[in-house]
Amino acid sequence: MTFEPRKRALRYLFEPLIDSLGYKFTPLEEDADFLLEQEAALEAETGVPYCPCQARTRDRAENMRIVCPCIPFHREHYDAMKRCWCGLFVHKDVTDPDKLKQIPEAVFYADKSR
Amino acid sequence: MKKIVIYALTTCLWCKKTKKFFEDKKLPFESVDYDKQDEAKQAEIMKEMKGQGCTGSFPFTRIGDSCVQGYDPNEFEKLLEKK
Repeated sequence: MTFEPRKRALRYLFEPLIDSLGYKFTPLEEDADFLLEQEAALEAETGVPYCPCQARTRDRAENMRIVCPCIPFHREHYDAMKRCWCGLFVHKDVTDPDKLKQIPEAVFYADKSR
Repeated sequence: MKKIVIYALTTCLWCKKTKKFFEDKKLPFESVDYDKQDEAKQAEIMKEMKGQGCTGSFPFTRIGDSCVQGYDPNEFEKLLEKK
């Protein structure tokens, strides 16, 4: 089963959403392609393009927080990293995503509350 | 040698990169794909992760008694060297 058509559709659907949030697709094409492939496969399996790097639980409300693009649910956290957790999206001014670190959510909020 | 355990998702790019980090160093590790486990094992893994103050984001790497959420080679190096 090829996911190419659905990957192109997801790109088309996500572009205006992330653009309005100040994000763009990662310039690392290989990473973007892999992540979109995973999302298309997750969508085929579950009906929803979930984030490929976060676990679904039995709590539907919690699962909605990781439906791609999940930026709005993690806005402060992702803005601090200048990327989303899985790295599919980065801030518009990012040119070298490999320099961006994943900051665990718990660490981010602990630092913020200091 | 410290025991290394990686909780991963088969769909996660950073889980792949984390495994490659240890493979490149020829360090043995145990890898558990969360999304391939049954409900009981998933609950056990999630309980351990949340017990360490982490959310359900992957990868989650345990090096000895310490743990790292996310792909963080510098932190992996630090924990490997820590006595």
